Amino acid sequence: MGLIDHIRNLLKGLGIAGKHLGRHAITIQYPEERMEMPERSRGIVVLLSDKETGELNCTACELCMRACPTAAIKIVTHRDENKKKHLDVFEVDNGLCCFCGLCEEACNFSALKMATKYEFSTLGADELVWDVNKLQEVGRDVDYVDTRKKKKPKPEPKADAKPTAPKPEKTDAKPKPEQPATVSEPVNPAGSSTEEKVNEEPLPEEQERKEEKKEGGPTDGSV
Amino acid sequence: MSCTVIAFGELHGIFAWLHELPVSIGLPDSVQAVVMYAALGVTVFSVLSLFALFLVWWERKIAAHIQQRFGPMRVGWHGWYQTVMDALKLLQKEDIRIETRDKVVFFWAPVVCFVAAFLAYVVMPFGKGLIVADLNIGILYIMAVTTFTVIALLMAGWGSNNKYALLGGMRSAAQVVSYEIPMVVSLLTIIIYVGSLSMVDIVESQSGWFFNWFIFRVPFGPIAFVTYIIAAIAEANRTPFDIPEAEQELVAGYNIEYSGMKFAMFFLAEFVNMFTVSAIAATVFLGGWNGPFLPSWVWFMGKTLTVVLLLMLVRWTYPRLRVDQLMEFAWKFLVPVTFANLILAGVLKYLGYWE
Repeated sequence: MGLIDHIRNLLKGLGIAGKHLGRHAITIQYPEERMEMPERSRGIVVLLSDKETGELNCTACELCMRACPTAAIKIVTHRDENKKKHLDVFEVDNGLCCFCGLCEEACNFSALKMATKYEFSTLGADELVWDVNKLQEVGRDVDYVDTRKKKKPKPEPKADAKPTAPKPEKTDAKPKPEQPATVSEPVNPAGSSTEEKVNEEPLPEEQERKEEKKEGGPTDGSV
Repeated sequence: MSCTVIAFGELHGIFAWLHELPVSIGLPDSVQAVVMYAALGVTVFSVLSLFALFLVWWERKIAAHIQQRFGPMRVGWHGWYQTVMDALKLLQKEDIRIETRDKVVFFWAPVVCFVAAFLAYVVMPFGKGLIVADLNIGILYIMAVTTFTVIALLMAGWGSNNKYALLGGMRSAAQVVSYEIPMVVSLLTIIIYVGSLSMVDIVESQSGWFFNWFIFRVPFGPIAFVTYIIAAIAEANRTPFDIPEAEQELVAGYNIEYSGMKFAMFFLAEFVNMFTVSAIAATVFLGGWNGPFLPSWVWFMGKTLTVVLLLMLVRWTYPRLRVDQLMEFAWKFLVPVTFANLILAGVLKYLGYWE
């Protein structure tokens, strides 16, 4: 009896293999056809642009740089005469990136996202370091939910009502109309704004120190 | 030389022209025979090499589709000449020869393996009249020369001066010697009903429809077929019994130190061996070239490739046996079963079951 059972089981296995032989392959031929990536999959880090103006959403707050565990993000900023920060350099070294998504979580301004794109193979390691223009170009067609406080439609009445301090800044920083509102508004109702404040306050002294602090940054910022 | 080229079957036109060619040129008789046999040898060799390349590609496709992949897809339609390109690549590759090798043995092992794989085709009836030489000891000759492979594998294992290679060669020797017995005895079950060892006689005695094939006609034919297929898989060193080259245990087995064309020779010989055992199964059990409507060589190829497909399915379904399981299976199960089969079939033949 045992022998017959064994033979039957062997034949059953053979039958299953034969059944699979008739099925269609579940793999895809990569360059010709591409996988539909899940919406929330984490791919290349891109910089997002404003949907209307096309400007970068980035406010140079450097939270992503501090959040990055592998120091793949490098940001250099300067302050203008109004103490408004401007982005000089924003580089992502894709060779260092570990696709953890912490930068995306840290960002309060919908400025940065891990897109579903995944193709960035190059011939050399140095070509993996993408500057701000490249990141913006790649991020152009990336769809995202704008979680920023909608200052754009509201500001007009508000800006009128709220009189003094922010006004000069707004006129100066025309290309980025969002940032003055969030940065200079004394009370920001957003829950995460406290972090941003913590980061903003010690800054006026030195800018260089921040670059050195990159590693220790996240703990400083969050605690 | 008693063995001569006889009729030429459906491809008579081509072969007759080739046969007449040396005569019409006006070569002396002694040279004629040499030229003719050389031409036949080259033909069989090149056709079988192409077939081996095709089988490699086919095996990869079958394996891929069983695992729901595509397999080779890039080179040509569904990668059909992928293996040709692989062979060309292997031809150009460096032939790495380790310092500590046994020079003569290391060099000759792939040659012996390759030649032994092709020797069986001297008596293989590809179709009606499509046979190089109809030896009257055909099947015995095949059994004898296919065993050369084990010598080649042992030579490769010894000549490499590598413990894994030697283990692979030794395992191969133990395995092939063990499975040779059930294989031959399974074939004997058929041969006692034919009364001849000649391959042509074997095929011609099962002419007619499929119920004349020996697998259905001879008592215990199906059992003999199954035991033959199992032993044949072991003979060809294929997966349920591929312990000579078990990747997980022996890295690559006997061919571990070989590279370039020498490796390709082992590789192609393996597939030619697979084709050989399938062709024997088709000839002895499945009626060989017999079949209606289509040319005889189409029937032969169709039956052989069906058996090859079965071997491939088996390879990609079952896991590898352990060495002791392999030996136990051969000596404690296959040998008794085949011998009992043979004795019962012989008794039935003696009692007048046949004609």
